[in-house]
Amino acid sequence: MDAGLIVYALYLAAIYGLMAIGISLLWSSVGMVNMAHGATFAFAGYAAYFAAIWAGPLAKDWLGATGWSQPALAVFIGLVAICAGALFGVVIYLVAYLTIHDKQNFPVRSLIITLALNLATVQMLLWAFGPQQKALPRVFGVGRFDWLGMSIRVDQVVTIVATTLLLGTVLVWLRHSRRGLEIRAVMQNAEGAALCGISSRKTALPIMMLTGALAGLAAVLLSQNVFVSPTAGVTPLIKGLTIALLGGLGSVPGAVAGAVLIGFIEAATGAIPFLGQRYVLFVQFTFIVCVLLIRPRGLGGLLDETRE
Amino acid sequence: MAPQQQPEKRFYEVGRRRHEITLMPDGTEVWRRGRVPLTKRHWLAWRGVSNPKSLRRERRLLDKRPLWWTIGLGGLLVATPFLSDQAINIAAIFCIFSAINVIWTLIIGTAGIFSLATMAVVGMSGYAAAAANVYLGVPWPLMMPVGALVGLVLGGFLALPSTRLDGLYYALLTLGVAEICRVFVSQIKALAPANGSINQVDSFIPADWLLQRPGLLLGFFAAFALLLAALLVFRLINSERLGLLLQAAREDEAFSEATGIDYRRARLWVFVLSSGALGAIGAFYVMFYRSISLAVFSLDQLLLLFAMIVIGGLGRSEGAVIGTAIVVLIDKGMLDLGPLRIIIVTAVMIGVALTAHNGLTGVRAQFRNFRNRKKSERRAARTEKGGEVMPEEATEIADKQQVYYRLFDKRIRDRLKAQITPELIAEHKAKPLGQHSDALDRVLNYFRRGEMPDKYAILRVGEYTSSTYKVLAFSGRPGHPPRVVDDKLYATMDEAYHAVFLLRVNDLLAS
Repeated sequence: MDAGLIVYALYLAAIYGLMAIGISLLWSSVGMVNMAHGATFAFAGYAAYFAAIWAGPLAKDWLGATGWSQPALAVFIGLVAICAGALFGVVIYLVAYLTIHDKQNFPVRSLIITLALNLATVQMLLWAFGPQQKALPRVFGVGRFDWLGMSIRVDQVVTIVATTLLLGTVLVWLRHSRRGLEIRAVMQNAEGAALCGISSRKTALPIMMLTGALAGLAAVLLSQNVFVSPTAGVTPLIKGLTIALLGGLGSVPGAVAGAVLIGFIEAATGAIPFLGQRYVLFVQFTFIVCVLLIRPRGLGGLLDETRE
Repeated sequence: MAPQQQPEKRFYEVGRRRHEITLMPDGTEVWRRGRVPLTKRHWLAWRGVSNPKSLRRERRLLDKRPLWWTIGLGGLLVATPFLSDQAINIAAIFCIFSAINVIWTLIIGTAGIFSLATMAVVGMSGYAAAAANVYLGVPWPLMMPVGALVGLVLGGFLALPSTRLDGLYYALLTLGVAEICRVFVSQIKALAPANGSINQVDSFIPADWLLQRPGLLLGFFAAFALLLAALLVFRLINSERLGLLLQAAREDEAFSEATGIDYRRARLWVFVLSSGALGAIGAFYVMFYRSISLAVFSLDQLLLLFAMIVIGGLGRSEGAVIGTAIVVLIDKGMLDLGPLRIIIVTAVMIGVALTAHNGLTGVRAQFRNFRNRKKSERRAARTEKGGEVMPEEATEIADKQQVYYRLFDKRIRDRLKAQITPELIAEHKAKPLGQHSDALDRVLNYFRRGEMPDKYAILRVGEYTSSTYKVLAFSGRPGHPPRVVDDKLYATMDEAYHAVFLLRVNDLLAS
């Protein structure tokens, strides 16, 4: 296996990991399966696209001479996408959580509402912008560079580094900040946290915004390779869900491990001439089915018992 | 002289359930009930009761759902032939989707397996049946058995992991099954030129009737028969042995296992049988459209079906049918709205999920719960008690009139209490007997109507000519003498009357 493949696998793992960790975190803390994660992805993708259109010429005018225009644009687009994702997270919070979180049958009902939100967002984007695919400018660099005699694509490396940094920041924040402590308390035992004075409503909002922001970041990063379109969120959603399952819902290390595994499988399946790109999903699902048959709670799944 | 005009007699219907369908059979007749052939079941759930007030025999319909089913489906059957071609097609599609959803309800509701592989099973058996017809020359009447067989086999495969996996894990996993099936079918070389679809399938609709009115009508009637068959399957599985075993397991898994119910096996049976039924529906689907394409496996199609059963309410056949009717009407009936249709569907979905705990069919139970909760809240919020009968006490009282009488009595006492003033007492003191003011009359009438244990007696003490009077209280129990209230002696009868009045007023105010 050459290094390009490994980097490609890590690149896929980074993006899927962003989606899967969002889904996993939300499930373990709030107790809802967020089917609108794909809609967040598409929404943030469009926000990034329009931000790029608006800010692209400006950046060229102001910073064109210094050579910093592309990185500045990249950071700006990323921030816009993160904000858009967080904003969509607030919408999901308002519609699917705040209204029914203390009512009967919450898991199923929130799943239905987020599913409906997903469908509605896709249709609205389709209505507003049409089915054409939009390409983001390649702000994370183009071309390849040689490292240890292997040629590696620049944007993939940037993606891996950016994701690792941001995810690391999030995990450190979860571990060391006051808010992170509250979130972890709710994840362990929502009732106990409530008894200690941690409002589940006030904790759910940052979690939703955080997971939305992660999806927004994933949208910008993946859109370097895939076009922005109304239905762009479906595949990342399904991948994210299945990886979250593979890792065991609620387990962040499990989600990371699952993302790396699935990234490698996808890269390998695409590279093997006998199988090819068309069989990627097929191989992935078969793999996940096999793993789940052996470990029904996923790779790192342990939280389900405590949740019951 | 002309006979005097009799005033028209009017009877008012009273009671809380006066609209209930109640038959008044002749008490001397033998009750003959029709039974469904080959079973012990009755057609309708009539219950014989005796009315304690009229002392007559009555028959009440316990479960009115069969009537609603008959009205709804009968109306569809009668009305459809008079509709436009497009509407007939919509009605037929409604019937097919309803049939799929009813069987799916069996899997989710009865078996409790949250499977999303429905369309995968339908599509795969549809493909198998179509391939059998086109490539192997199997005649169309045999397509449905072929589809059912393929469905059974697929169901057997899909059922294997369901015992090991948790509900949510299984649901998300089965989401992928459709994708696997799509890739599998699209890789079959023979189908490649037609873009993965099989066309020119034989059908129960003759080829020269295709897209003609007779053909559409035939398609609708066949789809209607399919829906009836699906409902029959639902009824046979859900309300007979398998369904009852699983109902016991839903109540308490450990207990049902202890009584020897193997609910896991029952679940698998339901799953496999339903998959077989879905396979037969898949074959019908192919015959209805005369072709099948990869669009069967698309996620959008699955989500639309899911929206249907979710709007109606998970786990009930009527929910599946009502939800299908709503979504099909919006999706297929308003074609000129474009993408707005799906947005309307999602708006309905969100609205139902936000307000109803369990879909539209659960609204009735939810409203009753809400009303009962409000009732008990109001009861708890009242500081002043008395009169009302607690539900647990009400079951002990045979004559329900008593329940209401206590409430009525409480209301009267409350009104009389407000009328007792120093002037009223002074009036009674001045003249215990004779004509009184309206308020005093009402109070005295209430006292007269009271029960024996609440009443007092006056006892004469000493000689008749120079006697004094004492007040006694009745014990209320036969054979037990009255007891003396206090040692006071009253010089005249009127004073004693007034003393009794004061005691009764005291009792009234203390109650």
